[in-house]
Amino acid sequence: MLRIQHVSKTYPNGTQALKDVSFDVADGEFMVVIGLSGSGKSTLLRCINRLIDPSEGKIYWNDTDVTSANAAELRNIRRNIGMVFQQFNLVKRSSVLTNVLSGRLGYANPWLSLLGIWPQEEKDRALKALARVGIAEKAFSRADALSGGQQQRVGIARALMQEPKIILADEPVASLDPVLSHSILQYLEVLNKEGITVICSLHFLDLVHRYATRVVALKDGMKVFEGSAKEIDRAKFKEIYGEEAQEVRAASF
Amino acid sequence: MSQNRSPLVAGVFSLLVPGLGQIYIGQRYRGVAILLGTLVAAGMVFWYGDPLWYFVPALIGLWNVWDAVSLARAGQTRPIWIPVLAALLAAYTIGWQVVGIDFSAADADRAMQILRPMLRPDFVQERREVNSMWVPVQVPCGPQPPQARREDGGKSALVMPDCAGVNETMILNVNGMWPDTDTNVVWRTPIGDPKMIGENEAEMLVVRSDASGVVTTAIHVPSTALVAAPDPTLPQEHRVYVYQYRPKGGIELSYIGSEVLNGALITIGMALIATMLAVFLAIPISFLAAHNLMGGNPVTYAIYVVMRTILNVLRSIESLIIAIIFVVIVGLGPFAGVLALAMHSIAALAKLYSEVIEGIDPGPIEAIRATGANWLQTVRYAVIPQIIPPFTAFTIYRWDINVRSATIVGFVGGGGLGFLLIELIRVNNMQGVSAVFITIAIIVTAMDYISAKIRERLV
Amino acid sequence: MENRLSTGKIIRNTLLAALIILALGISWNVTGVDFPRLIRDLPKGRNIVLAFLTPDLTTRETTTTTVSLAFPIPCGSAPEGEVLTSGPRLVPSVTCAEPKTKFTLEGFDLAPNSEIVIRWKLPDERIMTAIRVQSDEKGYFTANMEARPIAATANNISSRLEVDALTPVGGLKPSEAVQDVLAAMFVTIFMALLSTTLATIVAAPLSFLAASNITKRGPLGTLVYYFTRSIFNLLRSYDPLVMATVFGFWLSFGAFPGFLALSVVTVASLGKLFSEAVEGIDPGPLEALQATGANRLQMVIYGVVPQIVPDFISFIIYHWDINVRISTIIGFVGGGGIGYYLSERINGFEYSKAGTAIWAIVLVVMAMDFLSAEVRKRLS
Repeated sequence: MLRIQHVSKTYPNGTQALKDVSFDVADGEFMVVIGLSGSGKSTLLRCINRLIDPSEGKIYWNDTDVTSANAAELRNIRRNIGMVFQQFNLVKRSSVLTNVLSGRLGYANPWLSLLGIWPQEEKDRALKALARVGIAEKAFSRADALSGGQQQRVGIARALMQEPKIILADEPVASLDPVLSHSILQYLEVLNKEGITVICSLHFLDLVHRYATRVVALKDGMKVFEGSAKEIDRAKFKEIYGEEAQEVRAASF
Repeated sequence: MSQNRSPLVAGVFSLLVPGLGQIYIGQRYRGVAILLGTLVAAGMVFWYGDPLWYFVPALIGLWNVWDAVSLARAGQTRPIWIPVLAALLAAYTIGWQVVGIDFSAADADRAMQILRPMLRPDFVQERREVNSMWVPVQVPCGPQPPQARREDGGKSALVMPDCAGVNETMILNVNGMWPDTDTNVVWRTPIGDPKMIGENEAEMLVVRSDASGVVTTAIHVPSTALVAAPDPTLPQEHRVYVYQYRPKGGIELSYIGSEVLNGALITIGMALIATMLAVFLAIPISFLAAHNLMGGNPVTYAIYVVMRTILNVLRSIESLIIAIIFVVIVGLGPFAGVLALAMHSIAALAKLYSEVIEGIDPGPIEAIRATGANWLQTVRYAVIPQIIPPFTAFTIYRWDINVRSATIVGFVGGGGLGFLLIELIRVNNMQGVSAVFITIAIIVTAMDYISAKIRERLV
Repeated sequence: MENRLSTGKIIRNTLLAALIILALGISWNVTGVDFPRLIRDLPKGRNIVLAFLTPDLTTRETTTTTVSLAFPIPCGSAPEGEVLTSGPRLVPSVTCAEPKTKFTLEGFDLAPNSEIVIRWKLPDERIMTAIRVQSDEKGYFTANMEARPIAATANNISSRLEVDALTPVGGLKPSEAVQDVLAAMFVTIFMALLSTTLATIVAAPLSFLAASNITKRGPLGTLVYYFTRSIFNLLRSYDPLVMATVFGFWLSFGAFPGFLALSVVTVASLGKLFSEAVEGIDPGPLEALQATGANRLQMVIYGVVPQIVPDFISFIIYHWDINVRISTIIGFVGGGGIGYYLSERINGFEYSKAGTAIWAIVLVVMAMDFLSAEVRKRLS
């Protein structure tokens, strides 16, 4: 159970990215956050694992206060929360295997990991994670030798290495074409069915309908809608975001 | 924007300060360029001091008023090639005089004198065998001079009479030398100083042995035989040497050749050590000079600005100049050169490195942090993999440059090929100079090739 | 990853590491690296660095008042000077001395608070500066002197003790060093400008000979191509300073040999860059021109030149920048300009004046760096 309570974020330059956002995410949900670019989706996801510190409000995860955790506690919380990024955020010059193994850093022996030494069981775990996303044969390639879809699968494998309870996915398919988008989201769906809570930001309504169990909509940093995916149809979408949003959405497909 | 500006005001402005009219009209870049150009042209002419050339800044000034007025009136610029051409004309004419260009001074005969020996680089020489013999002679005569004869390994030599004074003539006879071979005859004083006893004592005395290997010749005691003697009246043992040479087949390194090879080794070594030292120091400095790491708060930003300034100043001082300081501190020799090269390389590498650090992708850092990694792990897995390959490429590139620079820090006493080159030029040994030039070309070309290959593989 | 490392790779990497360590070891030895010495002797560098950091920039205009006194060495070799009792005067503790004896010299009623330069004027009119002191508010000074053997009487003429009192009047003005540096800097910049220009004029046509897409046709063309390429590569491998040693030897010292050496290396360097620009041109427009029936020359003028001019200009400016940098030091080996001034000042131990030159070099090089980067940014 993740509880987000009255979270606001104001950046040093004065931009108010989040304004008093509250909602709960039950275990096992596929929660989708929708909104136009700049609506605060990325900031919200990063506040959950505190890559960005919220200015106000509280976030509780299973009654642990994430917002007031100290550095060691925070690392412990983070290793339970996997994250997948729009730009994949792989280390391009490192091998795929090293990228996947780096997802295990929160568990690994700090000193051995600095030397780049990993126990065999971790390597096996990494190969298994790669096998799950269907690219085991790429383990020893350099990350930048892979296509965009494959790189995102490495990103998911990296998150899997954390044995996460929650996966935060920040626009995981925004850099991919529609067919690849579905294949990536299907992997997330499978993980969700296995009991991992998924919180995913998207901006395509079709994808929201297909995958979400619940939806939170943001506009200018404020929560403007919370409910089931069925409740948010095209008319509602248009009502929230206006005419031009319709065009953006249409143009994207 | 220009139509509502008054041509009169623009003209007057430009008349007062060149370029001001253009700035007034809104063409800020053009105005500043005109102002700078006029100042440079005027400064140049003022420094040169020939009043004739004042027509250039005057012409630029007039053109600039014309340009301003026409811009204000019709929004049309006037061709910029007029002032540019005038300025170039002045710059080239004045420069020609100042640099003292005088192609008639390029004396072709002297060039040939320099170039001809350069076609025969002094690298190697024929391997040869030496057959030598010597005999003692007393100079000047004492009361009971020892016999001037000596036998050694089947050879025998004698001088008659047994002793003599300066400039006196004697007969030298040597048996058992190689037959029909040119033989050099050299006088050696008791301290081993060789003296030539041929024509005017300025040439080697060369005698040919006969068919049975006998060398017979008249010799005279050189006039300088007793110059270094503590007491010229005291009889001392001098020696007369004879040498024969014949080719043994094959070639061997000449003296200059071995010096050049040694210099080449030192030059490459200087570059290598200097680069290594520079890398160790440049890495920590580059982190302090990276904007994305140091821009956070005023204190670190101040460090960043100071670092950048020091690096920029240091980078604009050639290693040759830095070498002078180190020669004063650690004395002549390659170590001074190493330190100078290292100093310059630190500045150059730290700048390149810091640009790499500024250019790293923040995405992976965020991703690794999100897995619960600590700070060190984040650096190890997100930062280092991104910076190692470009760092290595820049380092090798720098080594390549340092090999070139190492040849010239020698000019001020930094050792290596440069030092040797200057010495050889000083004694007019153009064959040696040629050997150095060839060696430099080989080293630099090889380095170029190797460094390009390695960098190709890294990127 | 480890399981992917074959034995061959491990052996290769180990050998490579051993080779690098060996190379470093040999280099360390032949270069005579000696850090203890560096640390121990670092204070020796203090004066030179301090002098570089305090360049000779200004002098104060001064008026000089001189008083002098004949001082025979040894005694009796010439008439002794008359010691005055009033007015600006010098009073030595002895009026004559044997060589190497020490005495004190006092001065009275000279210019107050002034720099006092005490020197020997030798019988042959040569000047030997002995010491500099400061006068007090009453115009008095005292200094310890030694009757130097070099100041001995010759031809019955004794040396004279001369004292200049330098009184500052008026404001600061640029020192002689600044003026000399400025003049030398002009020569340097012109040397770079002219050599870059000459190199451009020579390199531009030659670069076409070294461009494979233009020249490498038929056996003769291929020969010309490789020949030009090799010459460029050979000349490019010499630092202009190395080249300048020979040119300086040929044409004796001065800016002209420096200019020639710089030009030769720049021709090679620009020639290579130019030829690469020519090789990189888009063949499309050439094809189109050929289709219109243009001849070879027309193709070059209308198809090639417009494509390469921006690149060429950018390379030229870049090289002017580099050449300014190099011409600041080319004077060390026979070229003229600021490098020659600098090396002369260093050989004469006039480090403050050398400092002036170094700061001038720093300023000019940084300015050129900035200007050339700006202009090239605008061009691209």
